[in-house]
Amino acid sequence: MVAETARQFEALEAQAGKLLSVFIKAGHEAVAPAVIQPADIYLDVIGESLRGRTYVFLDPDGDELCLRPDLTVPTCRLHMERHASGGKPAKYCYNGTAFRFQPVGASAAHPREFRQAGIEAIGNSDREKADAKTLALVLEGLRVAGLTDYKLRIGDLGLFRAVLESADMPQRWRQRLMHQFWRPEAFRAELKRLTQSPADTSPSLPRELLAELDPGKPGEALQAVSAYLEKHDIEMVGARTVADITENLLMIVADQRAEPLSARTAALISNYIGVTAPARAAGARLKDVMSSEGIDISDALDAYHRRLQLLAEAGVDVVHADFSAEFGRTLEYYTGFVFEVVVPTLGAASPVAGGGRYDSLMRMCGAPSDVPAVGGAVHTERLLAAVRG
Amino acid sequence: MSREGDDLSTRLQIALPSKGRLMEQTLEVFRQAGLNVRKTGNERGYRGEIEGIDNVDVSFISASEIAACLKSGKAHLGVTGEDLVREKISDWKTRVELLKPLGFGFADVVVAVPKCWLDVSTVADLDEIAGRFRDDHGRWFRVATKYVNLTRRFFSAKGVTDYRIVESLGATEGTPAAGTADLIVDITSTGATLQANGLKILDDGVILKSQATFVASNVAPWTPSTRQAQNEIMARLGA
Repeated sequence: MVAETARQFEALEAQAGKLLSVFIKAGHEAVAPAVIQPADIYLDVIGESLRGRTYVFLDPDGDELCLRPDLTVPTCRLHMERHASGGKPAKYCYNGTAFRFQPVGASAAHPREFRQAGIEAIGNSDREKADAKTLALVLEGLRVAGLTDYKLRIGDLGLFRAVLESADMPQRWRQRLMHQFWRPEAFRAELKRLTQSPADTSPSLPRELLAELDPGKPGEALQAVSAYLEKHDIEMVGARTVADITENLLMIVADQRAEPLSARTAALISNYIGVTAPARAAGARLKDVMSSEGIDISDALDAYHRRLQLLAEAGVDVVHADFSAEFGRTLEYYTGFVFEVVVPTLGAASPVAGGGRYDSLMRMCGAPSDVPAVGGAVHTERLLAAVRG
Repeated sequence: MSREGDDLSTRLQIALPSKGRLMEQTLEVFRQAGLNVRKTGNERGYRGEIEGIDNVDVSFISASEIAACLKSGKAHLGVTGEDLVREKISDWKTRVELLKPLGFGFADVVVAVPKCWLDVSTVADLDEIAGRFRDDHGRWFRVATKYVNLTRRFFSAKGVTDYRIVESLGATEGTPAAGTADLIVDITSTGATLQANGLKILDDGVILKSQATFVASNVAPWTPSTRQAQNEIMARLGA
């Protein structure tokens, strides 16, 4: 088994020194957050799937802890310890170990213990500027560490949200599609259902009760549901109340009576998701596709173009960057701009660096509201392998 | 190459359930196949042998330990529930081989929710209300189970992530009524216990139909003589 120990410790340390000096020079404070973290924040952010790839354990008190799978959440928590409101602007950098369970065994590209060197910029409300600075700084670090041949891939989850917001459909459908966005198959299935048969419900829901309910009369609906439960001798078990259950039944009824999503809108959404193009051309192409359908996403597109412009001004080669509308889909805590640096020798499944915007993470770490934040990290073992060729 | 008959590595290690119906039915299936398992030492001993096949050691241990022994390769062969194999061995497809279902120890691993959830009858319905539940109650759904890995993999394959597992080591079916969980993943054979606790199985909530299974470890130290003993046993079991 390879990569069990940091065999290349000196080389990795020397490389991390170069990265950190670039980050520190740009005004990022070097921090060393705790290796052992409470599991619940990660479970909140990532969900139970965390347990499939992280070392989660009980301490002698029975509290659930984990070996950090990344350094972004620990850095956010460190920021919260210092500033309870979470919103105070700060820029951090770090170099430290992260841990991932590898179900089929560790390998050089997928070790169970690896070092991440990265940056986080918290509280800067000029989002595009912070996005551009963050990516430019990560690339500068890679350049100083000796990486020359790479491919930059970017995405923007804000664009998807804008497409959904301006498409014509009930708000609850929007929420549902947003919720399923992270799961490509479920998303496709939901889109199809809304287009073809929003009235289809699970076959064993109580038909006769649904027929009685009227979304316009929630009070009567509550009584009807209570009467149904009594008649069928079903006792209330658990935390959900009759009101909770009625509310959801009424949404099911509303769906049954709604006009299906128009095929054009559905096609537009799936076309958007399918867009891959050079970063510069992508904006223009999206604008054409959307405006031909009367959909206005100009605010989100302006932000996209402004970010590209700022990146170009910071010396990033945006001409050769690729945009993919779908990129960022499987990484649940990102909320906006996302990026990834891939080298040909390691392939797309093993990016050398990656990052993005995560505006809701600080709230999940205890801040009273969302805080604009963006960051990026270098997988230092992969970088070393890429530089050495 | 060592040819000593009592060398541990050349003797076939079989792990069988040590308790209750599972042990009785295992021994019965073996007996009907002409494989008489005799406990060595006193009647409560945990070691045994198979009459007529001389390079076999039988050990009687708990069903979940059997899964662990197959995973580590301490046992070549074992009888345990398929549910435990899938739960306890994360890469079970490479580490073990399911040789033969034995026709007893039937149990379905299922997702069950309170019957009063009139609006939920599928996993998709459950996913639909997860976010609102969190908004209303300030926490994720709690799923009580002893099948942490099966639960996680099942929900993950269905795209459901908004829940929390509460590990439960007994009386799982009572946790929704007790308020320590909202729904459960547990084994059931007739569904009567779930019914009695005000729960119903989701339409697509059967995670696994499990039964006692004859299992081989791929990582045990196999030799020609242990293979030969295995083949003899398998032939008699008709597998």
